[in-house]
Amino acid sequence: MKKHTRRLAVVAGAAAAAFGLTAGPASAAPSTVWTVTPTGSYTATNSGNIVLTATIPMTCTTSSASGTMSSATGNPATVATISAISFGTSASPCTSVLGNVSTVAVTPWTVVAQDYNASTGVTTGYVGNITANVSAGACKFTVTGKASGTYTNSSGVLAVNSVAGELVVSSNPAPVNCGTVVTTSTKPTFKGNYVIKSSNGTIPKIVGSNP
Amino acid sequence: MRGHRAAAPRLPRVRARTTAIGAFVVLAAMVPAAVSAAGTQEADVTLPYVCRLPSGELPATVRVTADFPTAATAGKAFTPADVTTTVELPAEAVADLARGRASGVRAVTRLGVGIAQGESAAEATWRGTAPPAALPASGPLTLTATGDVPSVTARVDGALAFSARALDLDLALDTPDGTAADPAALTIGCSLAEDAPKRGLLATVQIEPDPEPPATGPASPAPSAPAPDTGTPGTPHSPDDQAGQNGQDGQGSRDDQEGRAPTVTERAPRGAATRRPDAPPCRYDERHPSTSASLDAYVTGYTNVRKLAGASLIPLSCALIEQGPTDIELFPDYSGGYLSQHSQGTLWYRGKPQTPPFQATFLTFGFVPTKATMVLEQTGPMTMDGKGETSFVTLFTKMETRVRVPLVLRVTALEVNGTPLDVGTGCRTRSPLRSEEPEPAKFPGDHLVLTGRSSHQPPALPVGYLLSSGGPLTGEVTIPAFTHCGGKGEDLDRLLTASVSGPGNYVKQMQGQTCAVQVFNPDQCTKDLQPLVIPVPER
Repeated sequence: MKKHTRRLAVVAGAAAAAFGLTAGPASAAPSTVWTVTPTGSYTATNSGNIVLTATIPMTCTTSSASGTMSSATGNPATVATISAISFGTSASPCTSVLGNVSTVAVTPWTVVAQDYNASTGVTTGYVGNITANVSAGACKFTVTGKASGTYTNSSGVLAVNSVAGELVVSSNPAPVNCGTVVTTSTKPTFKGNYVIKSSNGTIPKIVGSNP
Repeated sequence: MRGHRAAAPRLPRVRARTTAIGAFVVLAAMVPAAVSAAGTQEADVTLPYVCRLPSGELPATVRVTADFPTAATAGKAFTPADVTTTVELPAEAVADLARGRASGVRAVTRLGVGIAQGESAAEATWRGTAPPAALPASGPLTLTATGDVPSVTARVDGALAFSARALDLDLALDTPDGTAADPAALTIGCSLAEDAPKRGLLATVQIEPDPEPPATGPASPAPSAPAPDTGTPGTPHSPDDQAGQNGQDGQGSRDDQEGRAPTVTERAPRGAATRRPDAPPCRYDERHPSTSASLDAYVTGYTNVRKLAGASLIPLSCALIEQGPTDIELFPDYSGGYLSQHSQGTLWYRGKPQTPPFQATFLTFGFVPTKATMVLEQTGPMTMDGKGETSFVTLFTKMETRVRVPLVLRVTALEVNGTPLDVGTGCRTRSPLRSEEPEPAKFPGDHLVLTGRSSHQPPALPVGYLLSSGGPLTGEVTIPAFTHCGGKGEDLDRLLTASVSGPGNYVKQMQGQTCAVQVFNPDQCTKDLQPLVIPVPER
C-alpha cells in the first residue's frame, strides 16, 4: 500500500504539472519593480467553489481572506500578505465524502509575484508560506508549501491553481488516524478563484516592470 | 415467572391484552401539529426560472411555500417554518439527466433568499432534501425538497422582504442496477427569470421596534469561538460579515451601514444548543475512555412497523465510535484508487450498550390510549464499513458505508388506558433484528444493516451520507418473534409475534455530525466533548 502511494505521488505530480500553471521565466527581462495601486488593506472572497485535495477532494463553498498589499522590488517579490484566510464557515463547512473538513490557516501567508505580462495585465506567481492544520473526523494533518496562481488586473481575480508537489503533508506533526489516504507522500492541491477588493472598494492593480 | 396471576377481572384483562398488541411496537405519537400560530402568513409562490443543463438553458418552474410570521420584533430572531421548494424540470431536462444511464435522482436544493430592509440586505441559503425520485419516461420531473432554514434577526423596524434568488440543484444520479450513473452527480444552476412576478418576492414581515434595545457596541463573536451551550446566536455567515471578521482593521466605516442589515443564522448546529437539554449524555468516561480516534455522535430516526402500518421513532441515541484509518488501494493505471474504512463502535446509554428507553403512545382502535416503553439492546459490536473509489483525473469520488449492529428489542412496560399491563422482566425479541446481509460469510449472525451512500463531483458539494458528518442511513429489517413476554402466568409471546413480527420493515436513521473528542472542533463538539449537532429524524 505504501509503495503504491509513493508511486501514485510521482504519477499525480507529473500529470498535474502538465496541466498546472508554471511560473517559468518570461520571454522579456523579468520584472524587478512591482507597483501596487492602491496599497493597503484588502479583502478577498471566493468566486465559485474552492477545491482542496489530499488524495480525495473536498469542496469549500465559502472562503475569504484579508491582508495588506504593498509595492515591492526584486524577483520574486512579495506584493501582499494574507493575514487571515478562512475555508468554510460554521454554517457552511468544507466537506468531502469522509465528512466535514476543518482547515485552519496558520498565517501570515504571502502573495509572491514572479512574472508580469504587460499586454494582458496578468501577474504570475504563487501563494507562499502556506501552513494549514486540517482535520476530518479523527484524521488530522498539516499542509505546508506554496500554491501557484495568477492575478488579473482587469478582473481582480486571484486564481489559485496549485501544481502537485508544491504543497506537502508535514512529517512533523505527522498525520494521525488518516490511514494511507493521507501520508507524508500525499501531494495536496489547492484550486479556486478569489475576487480581491481594496479597502476603498476598487480592484487593486499589480504592475511589474524592469526599469 | 409463569405462576398464577393474582386475582384480576378476567374480561378487562383480555381486552387490555388485545389492545396492547398494537401498542407494542408503537406508532410514534403522530398527532398532527395543526395548530396555526396567531400571526402566521403562508407564502405560496410559483416562479419561473432558467436552469443551465449540460445541453443548454431550459425553463423551469419553482414553487416555494413557507410559513412566515406576519410581524416580528427588531433584535429577536425568527425562523420561516415548513419550507418546501418544489422544482419542476421539463421533459428535455429529464432526457439530459437520463443520458448517462440514470433512472433515478436524489436531489438537494440550495435556494438563495435575499432579505432586504430598506437599503440594508443579507442573503440566506435555504437548503432542502428531496426524497429519491425516478426519472419519468415522459413529461416533467418534479422534485419536492424540504429542510430547515436559517433564522433571521432584523436590527431595526420596518418592512423586511424575503425574495427568491438563484437556485442550485445538487443531483445524485442512480442507475437501475444501483451503480453510479455517468456523471453520477451534477449541480444545476438556475436563475430567476427576468419576468418573475415581483422579482421573486416570497413574503414581507413587518418588523416592530424592540421595546428594550440592547446596549450598542461591537459584540460579534469570533468565528472560531462560539458559545454553543449558551444559546448565543451563531456567527452570521454572509460573505461581508466573514470578511469583516477576518479583517485586521479598517472595517469601521462599514459598521454603521452593516449594523442595520438583518443577520442570518443557520439553525444547525447553533439551534441545536437550545435543544440539547433533551439530548441524553454522550461522552467518554473512565469505563469507556477515549483515544485519539474516538468520535461520538447522535443518531435518531424512524422504523416502519409494516404490520401496524405505522412508524416507530427510535429516540436520540448516543454512539461511541473508534474511527479506523481510511486506506487507498490504487487502480492498476494509477488513475485513482479504491477507498476503504473500517470503524467500530457501540451505542451508549448510562454505561450500557443500548438506546435510551423510549415511550410511544397511540390510540388502539382509534380511541384507547396505549403507551409502551421499550429499549434496543446491542448484543455485539457495531461495525461501520465504508467502501468507495476516487478518480485523480475527474476527482469524482463515491463512498458507500454499511453500519451493522445486532439489536434486540426489549419491552419493559405497557400501559393501556392508564392501566399497567405486566409484560414481565424478560420480554424481548427471540434474536436480534435482522437485515439481509450482502456479505454473510464476512458478517455472520443476525444484525441490522443500514446503508449510507455519497458521491462528490467537485467543484460541487458532496451529496448523501458523509462518514464523519452523518446523513441518512437506510435499510430494511425483519422483526423476529418475541419471547418471555407476559408476567405472572400470562403469555403474550404469540400475540405480540402475530401482530408485530415480520419482514420488510423500512428503517431510516439520521446520523448527526460526529465530535472527534481529541481533535476538538467547536462547530462539532460541546465544551465537554459531546456531539454538538442533534440530528432530526426524517421519514
